[in-house]
Amino acid sequence: MSDYDDTYTESQVIMTAVKIIAPFTLTYGLFMTFHGGDAPGGGFQGGTIVGVTVLMLAFAFGIEPTRQWLKNSVLTGLVAGGVVIFGAIGLGMIALGGDFLEFTMLKEVFHIKPKWGLEAVEIAGISLIVSGVIISLFFTMAAGFSPERPSGTGGISSADNAAEGPDSPVAEVGDDD
Amino acid sequence: MSLFAYSLVIFILATAVATVLFRDVLSVIIVFGAYSLGMAILYTFLLAPDVAMTEAAIGAGVTTLLLLLTIARTTRPTTDALRERIHVPAVVVVGAFVLLLCTAVLPDMYPVGSTSTPVWSNPDVTQHYITETYEQTGVENAVTSVLAAYRGFDTFGEAVVVFAAGVSTLLVLKREVFA
Repeated sequence: MSDYDDTYTESQVIMTAVKIIAPFTLTYGLFMTFHGGDAPGGGFQGGTIVGVTVLMLAFAFGIEPTRQWLKNSVLTGLVAGGVVIFGAIGLGMIALGGDFLEFTMLKEVFHIKPKWGLEAVEIAGISLIVSGVIISLFFTMAAGFSPERPSGTGGISSADNAAEGPDSPVAEVGDDD
Repeated sequence: MSLFAYSLVIFILATAVATVLFRDVLSVIIVFGAYSLGMAILYTFLLAPDVAMTEAAIGAGVTTLLLLLTIARTTRPTTDALRERIHVPAVVVVGAFVLLLCTAVLPDMYPVGSTSTPVWSNPDVTQHYITETYEQTGVENAVTSVLAAYRGFDTFGEAVVVFAAGVSTLLVLKREVFA
């Protein structure tokens, strides 16, 4: 991993441009997510733009500093949490007496528009998954393939890998410093 | 279709051909980004802003970044040639096939916005979503209501597919952490 950061060139132009643009793209992404019900856009598009904001920061200021600033638990929480929340909202409608994701139950039980169930799925489900996956794809691809890991070996060696899992990010950070 | 739309289609075709012809990988990625941007503008022109936003964000934005990252992490073959060598017999065969398809299919296509398109042939279904959406869901964007309410279960599957894409990247690259 010692040849890692030779892909990064510090450019005053890119850094300044990203500093100016990033607040706007983040706001636009959030706007698109929260306004998906009444305007074009929604969780998929808004989540992508929020994710792209982080990608732009990584391109301008180096991937490794951005990776250290963004914890793995945050990304795992975004990706897995989004799926869990989406499923939980669906199951919640069953708990209210309807079918999976049947938002009309909101109207019958709580007397609120089904719109809020729909928005909850878009904002707390889809956009979290999409933004998390976009950022994760970028960082996993930036980290690349390490051929020293054994491939196609199940059982014991995969258990070994799982055991050394918590240590590996620490070791990588140490290498890159 | 207006002059603008025609010139946009020509731009998209030109960038698509350039993507195939350029020899240098970096040039290909840049031209492909321009192609995606052209497609996004065309979708806007065809009154599909939701699709246009996805194409602009994913096609022109994320895909370009990921491809740039990929050539930064792998090798970029240096070459003096500007474009790929063209294999003439293959071009003739594929070109003849495309030309045949165009002459067979294009005359049967409906004009944009025509009321005789098959989409309108079943108004009970198509009009249902347009007229009932606000009443039933309280959402003004019919695309979102179909996506998240009427076809919510499909979208749940779609979201899980995105989740699976992230996990399978970890599997392929043999890593255990995202960041």
